[in-house]
Amino acid sequence: MKKQLSKAHEKYLKRLKKDKIIVIFWQIALFVCFLGIWQLLADTGVIDPFFFSSPSRIAVTIVDLFANGNLLLHIWTSLYETILGFIIAVLLGLIIAVMLWWSEKLRKILEPYLIILNSLPKIALGPMIIFWVGSGTSATVVMSVLICIVITIISMLNAFISCDKDKILLMKSMRANKFQILFKLVLPNALPEFVSVLKINVGMAWVGTVMGEYLSSKAGLGYLINYGSQMLKLDIVMTSITLLCVLAGGMYGLVSLLEKRQQK
Amino acid sequence: MDKFLEFKNVTYFYQTKTSEIHALDKLTFAVDEFQFASLVGPSGCGKTTVLSLTAGLLEASEGEILLDQKPITKNDPRIGYMFQRDHLFEWRSIWQNITLGLELQHKNKDQQKLSLAENLLKKYDLYGFKNKKPHELSGGMRQRVALIRTLVLEPALLLLDEPFSALDFQTRLKVCDDVYDIIKSEKKTALLVTHDISEAISMSDRIIILTKRPAHTRTIIDLNLEGNTPLEKREANDFGKHFEMIWRNLSSEETIIKSP
Repeated sequence: MKKQLSKAHEKYLKRLKKDKIIVIFWQIALFVCFLGIWQLLADTGVIDPFFFSSPSRIAVTIVDLFANGNLLLHIWTSLYETILGFIIAVLLGLIIAVMLWWSEKLRKILEPYLIILNSLPKIALGPMIIFWVGSGTSATVVMSVLICIVITIISMLNAFISCDKDKILLMKSMRANKFQILFKLVLPNALPEFVSVLKINVGMAWVGTVMGEYLSSKAGLGYLINYGSQMLKLDIVMTSITLLCVLAGGMYGLVSLLEKRQQK
Repeated sequence: MDKFLEFKNVTYFYQTKTSEIHALDKLTFAVDEFQFASLVGPSGCGKTTVLSLTAGLLEASEGEILLDQKPITKNDPRIGYMFQRDHLFEWRSIWQNITLGLELQHKNKDQQKLSLAENLLKKYDLYGFKNKKPHELSGGMRQRVALIRTLVLEPALLLLDEPFSALDFQTRLKVCDDVYDIIKSEKKTALLVTHDISEAISMSDRIIILTKRPAHTRTIIDLNLEGNTPLEKREANDFGKHFEMIWRNLSSEETIIKSP
């Protein structure tokens, strides 16, 4: 049976709903205004559409790329490389973090290497990666993995180590072995941190993919940006950036959905 | 009555990077079966160390600890431990929290153990909350769940490490009554660590007073106050007399709460 709400509570819920609608309205309005002003400035010649493009030119470029069959290929290539890099980095990073949590000695031995790897600009490894694994998709995925994996290891390891010592003691007092402590306490306890790592890695994986495609690729949105800038087709550059925004936003949205499910 | 838990000249040293800390020095005391005993002493004197040694989480440097005349083993199954905070796992339901120990010991299919868990929940008014998450329960209810989680494993001895310290005064009095009632009706032997003299007197049959570090037994007091609950015992005629005696014993020591 539906619970009868008091007038004050009904008013409170209405205000919450109204606030939500206002936020969404302004988010959309800001986006529409941005597109409108951009288009207006380009049409009136305040900004040069050759350098700054315009929403209508981006729409035309998308239609053209779609018509010659290239658009889906570039989107698919980048999406595939990003998701693959993201998954490998998260899984491998998680496994390494577990190993480092398991053995304090191993953690102490590898600590300086992790710090160095974390501070190293991964792009510097680009030429070496091409020599090691060849150009194209494999180099791009490796770049993406390298960028995401260190942050995954460090964040997850910190989450594992900061697990309440008394809770571990409680598990031990109930005769839990180390596997049980890991699977029944340490891992579920680190779930909120894991979701944060996923969110950070969505952005990082795209950085890796675009960097990899800049360096060595024949397809993908990073390649398209590089191609557009070299051929002075800046509409293609802006189109690729727009598509990157949409795809990265979509992936972030999926992770946020996962977060909401976890919080329930 | 037979000695159930026995500490015989137990010495313990903590090892740190800079030094060796002498925590306990030839500590000797005993707790009889079904007795509720309390350990009181100054802050940092090693009360929690005594519990960790009893639970088999630490190993004595010297001396002997016996439970029912047999030496304590590592993570001894005869012993249940209740911590300062309830440490319920927020991602598990109340039922999953209560059966955590059974799960760890692969006994979560044992119908007899499961019906014990169910009966304890019913008996202590928590059955309706079995599918709720810990954050939906009050502080007192959470402590009761933590106690039931320990009792489900049917320990012979319960170790209570300041389990009421995180609660406000009103809740604390109520939870003291609840925990005392549960422990007495389930016929368990208990060893409580507390800073609160009133709490120790109202709950205990025996109080073991420790000296400051390195701790040894300063004195042991056996109590037999009128009243069936800790709250009633606080009203007993001899309560004040015992309080003064313990307070005097500890007056040369430090940081003891003299609550009303």
